[in-house]
Amino acid sequence: MNWRKLRTFLLTVLVLCLIPATRYYQIDEPLIRFLKGPLAVDPLSLHLAGEFVESNLGTEQGPDGSVTVRMIAQQYLFVPHCILVPAGVPIHLRITSADAVHALNFIGTKYNVKVLPGTISEAQLQFPNAGEFKTACTEFCGAGHYAMRSKLKVVPREQFPVLRAEERGTCAAQ
Amino acid sequence: MRRNKGRRSPNWRMVWIAAALFAAGTLLVVASDNPRERIPSYVSWTPETIAAASAGDAFRGMLLARRCEHCHGAEGFSAVGATPNLAGMNRLAVWKELQDFRSLKRQSRVMEPIADSLSSRDLVDVVAYYAKLPVFEDPQDNRSFPQKRPDAARAGVASHLISFGDGERGIPPCQSCHGPVAYKTGVPSLANQNTEYVLSQLEAFANGSRANDINVQMRTISTLLSDEERHALAEYYGSGLGLEPGSSR
Repeated sequence: MNWRKLRTFLLTVLVLCLIPATRYYQIDEPLIRFLKGPLAVDPLSLHLAGEFVESNLGTEQGPDGSVTVRMIAQQYLFVPHCILVPAGVPIHLRITSADAVHALNFIGTKYNVKVLPGTISEAQLQFPNAGEFKTACTEFCGAGHYAMRSKLKVVPREQFPVLRAEERGTCAAQ
Repeated sequence: MRRNKGRRSPNWRMVWIAAALFAAGTLLVVASDNPRERIPSYVSWTPETIAAASAGDAFRGMLLARRCEHCHGAEGFSAVGATPNLAGMNRLAVWKELQDFRSLKRQSRVMEPIADSLSSRDLVDVVAYYAKLPVFEDPQDNRSFPQKRPDAARAGVASHLISFGDGERGIPPCQSCHGPVAYKTGVPSLANQNTEYVLSQLEAFANGSRANDINVQMRTISTLLSDEERHALAEYYGSGLGLEPGSSR
């Protein structure tokens, strides 16, 4: 057996394993932030202008039926506190942090989204069945971390209402 | 050749002026307030804002505060429960409220003209003075604080919410932002606040008549609290239980 070939092969396998591992454990986050350039959003002035002003938070339906959810994670709240989404539809989640590092975990599902101040974390979610999910912060963020929880309400697709502007951030719409 | 070009070329100055006007118009349209965007407060806690708001002259503030003492008390404790106590209050918190009164982001018929009549430097000095006032009892002062104590069961409800919040409903503990465990930037201490004022503000946040909290924080939490819990919390703080050594301090 050619030792040299084997060595090259093993090295290639190692590198190929390392790439997803660095992404999975988010070791490359500083590098990605360096490559992406300056902060995508200013965590201190989310409320003044841009995508995360309070009237823009919550569930938004596009004209093509796509669903986007915008949220802010802050010490010690997820805003909006209750989100209404349709079942079986791909949901585009966009979330950013106003202060510390948080993580949005949908309890009982596979989704766990890390939220960093200054960047917008994006995720594609899909909930096949209707129901109510609780969410929790899974990254220690300070004194009130353990009470940082919110709700997600999944309703059947045909029952999902057309949300008015003031209903986006609540589960009150029928 | 040159002469021809000179005759044909447009008036470049006019072109530049037209281009500048077009750019200015576009900028105006882009920068003008989008009616769909609601801005709760123009204050954002950047390091520059914090430095500017903390650089007050407390002595000058003391002279200016003669205007405030008719309602807020000579020692920063008001005689009427509906008026907030300002003694020992976080200077950034009071400064933000004054800014919001000025920009009409928080409504008050009394405070709007007063905040409007003060200059930016006056605001910074006044809040520096009130931040330095002590939170001691003074029997000779005409103050409504501390108020009646709630009964043990109600105090227990409030104490639990202040110390632990409610994880099931997602209510964070009050003390993780309002102290004494931790203070978020620009958050007032509540330990020496009046019952009536705390209650009125919790209710105002819950029904949306006060909406100057950054990123919908207090509006969300007040909506999650029940009516009884709001009363219990207000009575706990207003009776001075938050100042006692054994409570949550």
